[in-house]
Amino acid sequence: MNATIAAQMTGADLLKLRKKRGTMIWVLVLALAPIVILFTVKAIQHASTPAKEGPAGGTPGFIDGLRLLALFFGPLAAILIGVEAGTGDASAGVFRDLVVTGRSRVGLFASRVPAALAACWAVVLLAYGLVLVGSFAFASNLPTPDAALILNGLGFALLANGVVCVVAVGFASLTTSKPAAITALIGWQLVASPLIANISSLGSARDAVLSQAIMHFSPVHIGGGRGATVSMAQATALLIVAAWVAIFLALGAWRTRTMDA
Amino acid sequence: MTATAPAELAVETVGLTKRFGERTAIDSVDLHVPRGGAFGFLGPNGAGKTTMIRMLLGLTHASAGSMSLLGRPVPAERAEALRRVGAIVEEPRFHPHLSGRENLLIVAAARGPEVRERIQPSLVRVGLAERADDKVRKYSLGMRQRLGVARCLLADPLLLILDEPTNGLDPGGIQEFRLMIRAMVEQEGRTVFISSHLLDEVEKICDAAAIVDRGRIVTQGPISELAGDGGDRHELILGVDDAELAISTLRASELVREVRRSDEGLRVLLSGGATTAAGLNAALVAAGVGVMRLEPVRHSLEERFLEVTSRLDGSISEQEVRL
Repeated sequence: MNATIAAQMTGADLLKLRKKRGTMIWVLVLALAPIVILFTVKAIQHASTPAKEGPAGGTPGFIDGLRLLALFFGPLAAILIGVEAGTGDASAGVFRDLVVTGRSRVGLFASRVPAALAACWAVVLLAYGLVLVGSFAFASNLPTPDAALILNGLGFALLANGVVCVVAVGFASLTTSKPAAITALIGWQLVASPLIANISSLGSARDAVLSQAIMHFSPVHIGGGRGATVSMAQATALLIVAAWVAIFLALGAWRTRTMDA
Repeated sequence: MTATAPAELAVETVGLTKRFGERTAIDSVDLHVPRGGAFGFLGPNGAGKTTMIRMLLGLTHASAGSMSLLGRPVPAERAEALRRVGAIVEEPRFHPHLSGRENLLIVAAARGPEVRERIQPSLVRVGLAERADDKVRKYSLGMRQRLGVARCLLADPLLLILDEPTNGLDPGGIQEFRLMIRAMVEQEGRTVFISSHLLDEVEKICDAAAIVDRGRIVTQGPISELAGDGGDRHELILGVDDAELAISTLRASELVREVRRSDEGLRVLLSGGATTAAGLNAALVAAGVGVMRLEPVRHSLEERFLEVTSRLDGSISEQEVRL
């Protein structure tokens, strides 16, 4: 498969995603609404009790917004996009029609990944812009994030959501069931991961939790010690993130290659 | 059926077998589909037609045997074999949230950069150009079938494989579909492989057919031969003034293999070709029998189909069916 065909196939997968209006509305709501609510509520609190509540924006507001985007609601949006990309062809029944073009199944799987990432990162960019607008518009007398923090924060938001999105593409391609994949991934992300991270008796086994490893790349303090409940070396965190991505991409590709279409 | 060299075959399978656990869905099938015609793959529901097509297209693996499409072995050269193959498997499915044109764009992207230019001509060819930008969820079943054919045409196919293509179409849609398939064969020189359980459809569209039952090819050949109309099975209905004399004359003749009474008159199975009917007439007249009617029996494909797919005898095989 040459670069032209790869680009066309990715474009086709992106077309499927961005035209899936229902999913994209939910994605935008999950990514944007919490940030709007965060700044609105904090602004109202500051306006009503300025002595007790600080301004909504500034660097503290930026950190709160980044936390929402990178660790909580952003990943949920990324899961929806990844699952849609991973199961869209199978659930619409068109996977077999793509297989009979003669194109390799692994190629068909591979084109889903950049398409999902493109959609995911477009939404992250939009939400990150909203975080910046809130941080500067409601800064009042507080310091605002400098250029380095803005760039590092953007990189972190893209990484955190991109990794979850890619894992979701692989997992959804493995299950081929949209409801099952969404339920399992959101359950893991919102319920299982924090629970496991807080069971200290599990020791270093908790290092394998993806969200804990991702937190280690945050440019600012957004959680427990150095931004994570579980402490680990940066290299370990990198390995764990890479392993999650590699394992789920491999599983998704294997399933796409071997399943009856 | 005349022997066809492998290079002239659009589809060839040898000993193709598909097993699901203990159950054998396709049992050692040898299929020969010549190029440049419409070929019917006829069988009752559950006979294995769709499974066979799915194996040919690489949608599911064969348990044993070999196959080739357009002279290229599958799956060894699957990508090259499918490059000029268009297929509709079961009902044509699309992304309902996309327009017809966008759905074709997605398949065109997988087929290659040059295929994009064929989208508009394909839509025009199937009469969907004006509705191409409507969402597919608003299409009728007939429109989806046509869009499915348009999707096949993106490959500029030498071979079209259509699985039950007229399912759900109204009579007008079926007629339109038949004309389109015949035009593809006669004017464009494509080979069309149609699986169907509808005898009438296959008889009207196809030049040749294979009849499949319980995963086995029971018989295959030109439609006229399968129907016993022009092959080596020639029957006449005779109306005569003296049945007894006619029967004794006919039984004495080398031209006759079998004679029996029927509601229509005497039913005579000839031992030679259709031209022996004239000699038979002369023999009867010479014996003093007045012949009021002499009419060749035209077997319908339906009769042959019901005969060879009989479920009464579980051990029917190709060798046991004499056409």
